Amino acid sequence: MELLDRYLQAVKKFLPLRRQDDIIAELRANMEAQLEDKESELTRPMTIGEQEDWLRKIGPPMMVAARYQTQQYLIGPSIFPVYWYVLRMAMLWALIIYSVVIAVIIPITTSNGSSVVEALLRIPSVLMTVAAWVTVVFAALEFVAARYPEKCPPIAGLSGNWSPSSLPPLEKESDGKRKGRSYPQAVAEIVFGFLFLGWLLLIPRHPFVIMGPGVYFWRSSPFQLADMWITFFWWIVALNVVQLIWRCTDLLRGTWQQSARLQQIAYKVIPLIPLIQLITVRDHVYVALKHPALDQLRHGNSVDTINKSVHMGLLVVTAIIAIQLAFECGQLAWDWYQKHDASH
Amino acid sequence: MTVSQNIFENLRLELRRGCLTLAVLVQLRREHYGYTLRKDLAANGLDIDESTLYPLLRRLETQGLLVSEWREEEKRNKRFYRLSSDGEVMLDQLLHEWQAINESINRILETR
Repeated sequence: MELLDRYLQAVKKFLPLRRQDDIIAELRANMEAQLEDKESELTRPMTIGEQEDWLRKIGPPMMVAARYQTQQYLIGPSIFPVYWYVLRMAMLWALIIYSVVIAVIIPITTSNGSSVVEALLRIPSVLMTVAAWVTVVFAALEFVAARYPEKCPPIAGLSGNWSPSSLPPLEKESDGKRKGRSYPQAVAEIVFGFLFLGWLLLIPRHPFVIMGPGVYFWRSSPFQLADMWITFFWWIVALNVVQLIWRCTDLLRGTWQQSARLQQIAYKVIPLIPLIQLITVRDHVYVALKHPALDQLRHGNSVDTINKSVHMGLLVVTAIIAIQLAFECGQLAWDWYQKHDASH
Repeated sequence: MTVSQNIFENLRLELRRGCLTLAVLVQLRREHYGYTLRKDLAANGLDIDESTLYPLLRRLETQGLLVSEWREEEKRNKRFYRLSSDGEVMLDQLLHEWQAINESINRILETR
């Protein structure tokens, strides 16, 4: 029967080389016996259409051959939970590291804002590369574990030898009121923190990133910023660096759920220092004229008004932060008092 | 196929998978080649596709539960399978397990 021969030939192509002759011989014997049975039932040879129906019922050659193959997973169920965990961690850390790198490198090397956009657009390809490498490593592990199970040690956390005492302690909410940060939220804060730092560092060389087209108006205006703004700028940079270091440390130590009270106080104290410097500056000069001799008569009053407004604004901001600081300190003292009281 | 039909089909296949292996092992206490084994199972109400049965026989042989030999019968070379001594021990254990599960299910059904 030509059709059966063609069918078996097609099956053979998908079988493992070492066993294909043996499998095909067996399959042929079984199918020929079945064919004989069918034809003796019909008392005539099967028509081409009947043969096609019969073979169609058995299945496509590739599927029939696949049943003879050893079942192989790219990443099997035994290591999939570990793979999934490692994949998420690798991608989160890749995102953090990439953000740090672009936040540091771009302000040093870039000459225009498009580099920031290009760096951001590269994020998906970076993440896909990391995911591909993690998948390749785990696929290799699966391959080795399937062929040499006796040589593969059980994966920690998935074997029966784990100890319940190794479970991490319960994650407590520090004051019972505020909801703790989730892990993705903590990671997102770090990523955006680094991106913000990069943007901040671009400002001195490229004021366009903060002022937009207004920078051209500012450059052509008769005004200029006083020098103390440079000190203020670097204080803001320092505050962001401290925050990022603290957040990274929290993430590495596994304590990202809630900022320590001391951290919250530090975040209020650090900006107070440059703000106090600003409000105590001599004569409250924040904006000055580029050419006083030429423009004093025309723009002198405008400069005075601007300086008074900025001073008032700075006073309000300082007062708000000082009140928040006092509140934090009060809460800290109250918590300490309650703990102290409970222990006696 | 609707979602519920699809779920039923998946669960039915899962349920049948172990039972088919057990039935094949029981049937191979007597020697058979692939096609007659399939016919015997079908005659007993257990239809099984060629593409499932023949690879299953190979797998069980690789696991040492079956032994096979090529022999000529009715002018055609055929591969005959039967239970090995390891297969007999395994079959006893599996039958015991199957009976225990069956009894448990029946008890659970009776208590409803």
